[in-house]
Amino acid sequence: MTDFLPLFIEQLQSPTLGFLIGGIVVAALGSQLAIPDSIYKFISFFLLMKIGLTGGIAIRNSNFSEIILPALGAVGIGIVIVLISRYTLGKLPGIKVPDAVATGGLFGAVSGSTLAAVLPQLDSAKVPYEAWTAALYPFMDIPALVAAIVMASLYIGKKTGNTSEKVEIWPIIKESLQSSAVTAMLLGVALGILTKPEPVYESFFNPLFRGFLAVLMIIMGMEAAQRMNELRKVAQWFAIYAFIAPIVHGFLGFGVGLILHKLTGFSIGGSVVLAVIAASSSDISGPPTLRAGIPSANPSAYIGASTAIGTPVAIAICIPLFIGIAEVMLGR
Amino acid sequence: MSQQVWKLVIVAEEILSKKLTKLIKEAGATGYTVNAAGGEGSRNVRSTGEPSVSHTLSNVKIEVLTGTRELADKITHEIEAKYYTDYSIITYIYPVEALRDHKF
Repeated sequence: MTDFLPLFIEQLQSPTLGFLIGGIVVAALGSQLAIPDSIYKFISFFLLMKIGLTGGIAIRNSNFSEIILPALGAVGIGIVIVLISRYTLGKLPGIKVPDAVATGGLFGAVSGSTLAAVLPQLDSAKVPYEAWTAALYPFMDIPALVAAIVMASLYIGKKTGNTSEKVEIWPIIKESLQSSAVTAMLLGVALGILTKPEPVYESFFNPLFRGFLAVLMIIMGMEAAQRMNELRKVAQWFAIYAFIAPIVHGFLGFGVGLILHKLTGFSIGGSVVLAVIAASSSDISGPPTLRAGIPSANPSAYIGASTAIGTPVAIAICIPLFIGIAEVMLGR
Repeated sequence: MSQQVWKLVIVAEEILSKKLTKLIKEAGATGYTVNAAGGEGSRNVRSTGEPSVSHTLSNVKIEVLTGTRELADKITHEIEAKYYTDYSIITYIYPVEALRDHKF
């Protein structure tokens, strides 16, 4: 513990967190500062493209079969997170099961911005990780969304006695793969594997990554402060769940990572990435998919929980926490 | 020459946009216009000004011109049956004069 605390505090002072809190503060103070939607879209494209390229280049130079077990682990974590939500949040008084399952789906799904935030912090802390770990993103994201929509449909079907309507899974998978975040990352991976993008990577994507990430963190902070109003309209359980869940999910991810570490030599840094992917909750692609897939769930509940509290907790607490633990485990 | 036609206006959540325009075309309308919309209603306050990460909270306004009242009613009824329960959505209709009458 005495080793851990200074490392944790050092992580808390990272620019990522500073810009996030800055965004929350200015929006809470009612500032007129606005960053155009198109810039937000471009930045998230840029960051995920860079992450994809890094992963693709790493895969080209290594053995791709290493990813299979961690990918299966990611699928399992995504589904378990939805189950946890169904049987904890969904059992609380005054909480509707579809709302709980949709919240679980969003927390099981992955945030591109949180993923973008953890990687440079691992680099700064000099904790080594397999560069392809970012490619685990869709393996957790899609199963969580599918599981949430299937579970909600089964529940609603049972309740209304209408079990004839089958949930079509393929359209959900297709929609997730076509979402801007996953597309940008997979395109990056493909370009990294199939082409030699090093010149553009070294001169453009890599140097600008941290700056764009800082701007994205301001946007995420402003968004979090604005969505607090949504969250106030729903039961307080959602706020409590949104605070605890990322940390619990993070430990679940880290635990799976450590098991893989013992079994296959998956790195401690890779376990941190898996933990943060598990801790993060989707902010770009997840909400529209869930809104369409579980129409009866209240979007103020799950989007409020995820964007207002879940994402800030994942970035501000989980990233420093797991990097701190990893540094202690590596004997720093 | 102008012709009396019906203008059906649908204000709805942006994520319904594609589904609604598909429904409108399949019902037999010749075309439609989509705008971004913002405002306040019974479910929520929605605005297009602030950056919204997911777009789940944005609105669109869809306008359809139909030659007959029956077609406008048919579209409204289909929307009502499918989306009124779970989504923020409002429809209204009024008579207008179209200046290119051969279009409808």
